[in-house]
Amino acid sequence: MTLGLPLMGQEPEDRRDFLPSLAHHVANLGFGVAVETGLGARMGYSDRDYLNASERVRIVDRVEAFAQDVVLILRSPDDRFELMRPGATLVSMLHWPTRVQRYRRLKGLGIEAVSLDLIVDDNRRRLVENMEAVAWNGLEAGFEALAHAYPGFRTHDRDPIRVTIMGAGMVGKHAVEAATKYGSLDRARTLRDYPGVEVTVLGRNLTANEWYLRDRLRVTDLLVDAAYRSDASRPLVLNEWIDDLPEHAVICDLSVDPYLLDASPPTVRGIEGIPQGSLEQYVFFPDDPNWRATLPHGVPALSRRTTVSCYSWPGIHPRACMHRYEEQLLPLLEKLFETEGAGRLRADGGHFERALYGASTGAWVALSDPTKVAKTAAEVAHSG
Amino acid sequence: MHAASLLWKPSVVRVGLPRLHREAGEKRDFLPSFVAALDAAGSEEIIVEKGYGSGMGIDESSYTAASSRLAWGDLDDCLTQDAVMQVRCLDEDHFEQLGAGSILLSMLHYTTRPERVRRLAELDIRAISMDGLIDDGGRRLVENLAAVAGNGVEAAFVELAKTHPAFDDPGRPPIRVTVLGSGAVGSHAVRAASRYGDQQLRDALVAKGVKGVEVVVVDYDLTSHEAYMQSVLSATDLLVDATQRLDSTVHVIPNRWLAGMPGHAVVLDLSADPYDFSVTPAIVKGIEGLPQGSLDQFVFYPDDPAYEELDPRISTEHRRVALSCYSWPGRKPRECMEVYGAQLEPFLEVLLNKPPDVWDSASPSLYERALARAELSRWLGVGSA
Repeated sequence: MTLGLPLMGQEPEDRRDFLPSLAHHVANLGFGVAVETGLGARMGYSDRDYLNASERVRIVDRVEAFAQDVVLILRSPDDRFELMRPGATLVSMLHWPTRVQRYRRLKGLGIEAVSLDLIVDDNRRRLVENMEAVAWNGLEAGFEALAHAYPGFRTHDRDPIRVTIMGAGMVGKHAVEAATKYGSLDRARTLRDYPGVEVTVLGRNLTANEWYLRDRLRVTDLLVDAAYRSDASRPLVLNEWIDDLPEHAVICDLSVDPYLLDASPPTVRGIEGIPQGSLEQYVFFPDDPNWRATLPHGVPALSRRTTVSCYSWPGIHPRACMHRYEEQLLPLLEKLFETEGAGRLRADGGHFERALYGASTGAWVALSDPTKVAKTAAEVAHSG
Repeated sequence: MHAASLLWKPSVVRVGLPRLHREAGEKRDFLPSFVAALDAAGSEEIIVEKGYGSGMGIDESSYTAASSRLAWGDLDDCLTQDAVMQVRCLDEDHFEQLGAGSILLSMLHYTTRPERVRRLAELDIRAISMDGLIDDGGRRLVENLAAVAGNGVEAAFVELAKTHPAFDDPGRPPIRVTVLGSGAVGSHAVRAASRYGDQQLRDALVAKGVKGVEVVVVDYDLTSHEAYMQSVLSATDLLVDATQRLDSTVHVIPNRWLAGMPGHAVVLDLSADPYDFSVTPAIVKGIEGLPQGSLDQFVFYPDDPAYEELDPRISTEHRRVALSCYSWPGRKPRECMEVYGAQLEPFLEVLLNKPPDVWDSASPSLYERALARAELSRWLGVGSA
């Protein structure tokens, strides 16, 4: 059994690749690792760093990296599926419930696959996730922006910074801790003698109350959207309500829902009119010329506050992110190699085998049937 | 082809599962699914104490069905196996029954139990502290902090529903919960509190059009500001202590600060820090004046005799309905053991099939690294590997 580690490369600004330490650990299990030349270069690693990990590591070109028994790549390599061999296993963030065509292409090519975002334990907890980084990296950027926008930020006689978090789910939970530490332990240490941070968390039944929510916005320095909405076709905060926030306030978008106005029902962002950021630009001041460029035509965006938004907050600190994923992945990869690929996973296996099976192509055959797709996707959305 | 490194000669063949011989409210035992996992991981014989699981209403046949390698025995039988597993630490009087070199897997809390550590080391028991099983970033791999927060908050809202004059009145303002501490327990408490600690209660109140819960979280950099805290407490319906204090000799909330809280307010202790006046300076609770609860009694009304039994150096002048329990997860034993069982299952392959002496803290396996770190001799810095 061999592992292929190809480069991602969909977005030039996404610097994440699997680290030499992952190649080292897999090679130590006795398996060959084929690393695409240039892997990790955007994080400062050279081919030599991977070669030094083990004698079982080889540097190869893209075609060969994809021609291994198991191919591991963080984001789905949609335009490179054909480089894989039938019967080989692809391990990646594949998001089948919302990417059914991707599933069908893989099945058509005879590729077995495991979707990282669908690996859950018996209690439905995701085994490969980095929501902590979503919250901490987003709040770090939010407080950085607030330090610029709020003249009283570094004054000893100010009131506590008031952070309002919409949503008390997994991301919101991490956001609470991050917010009380100014999004950064270093910043918290620096500011330990200043009045601290008061964090107020609002669940669905308060975010749905216009009177209450607008009152809350008036005393909010940093507004965080970490909500998982039951109805994504309606915003929680209408654009004109943004004017209720103090002038210096900052909006931190952790939910990164897209605008999909042509979908049925449409999807809109939780806070209406804020831009959608990327790893290249995730801070938007109110007069930013790119503000409108990220929004579909017709979305009201006249009311603005400085906003931080990024489709991939964990990618802000790529090494830390990949280290976290590696730690979560290694025991799963070990099991995957032991079973010689995703095609032989058993639903009644041990802890990791069950979790891998539940995320494998074999467990999602219903997606091959168009009549069952809508139900399956809805079930996943509900369970998530 | 499998890598040779994945194949190990079994080392632990017999596992003992003794019952928890504790207070009546302590009902936790590993579930039949854990017995099945022990079997699948290679245990040759699993000795289970008679009556195991009965506190949770699980009968013997469920365990017997989980493994053909299960045998029933008494406490002594369970203690003389290659590995003994119990969620809370055995009574220390039983340590000598464990053979030298045998494995004890339990919540052992090395850092706060020096005498226990000394005895285990002296007897050459290969102890593994469940609470010490951590990943490379220091995160606990076997924990149920969600249940600490969830069970505590749920019980607190039951009491608040009785004391609050307009709990289910659509005209009332949002319930205000103040959580002290934003660490792992505090974060879970926020999530639980935003839902009244009970999804059914939340749904019922939403259906009536009752406003929800506003959860305010304050950390150590605000809790020391008396004027600010007095202001917050005066508008707090439910106060939750989820602090992890660096200095447990100092209260976060002195008793006199409780005077300004509404009369209907409820105070919840999730930290489970005990009082200990046998040491100098004394260890005290985060909120001064709360009794220490247990699974047998975790709700204390202002006239409860427990207040009078506290050390006289503790001020209890200002009282509200208080909740405290040293083991909130034990309130729902079956759910708790489902979580622990699932978290422990990935460890079993290493635990049962690889001798402790060769566990490697640099292993590719997260679970072997964690076991190596949590094993007592290595924790003490005297391990052979």
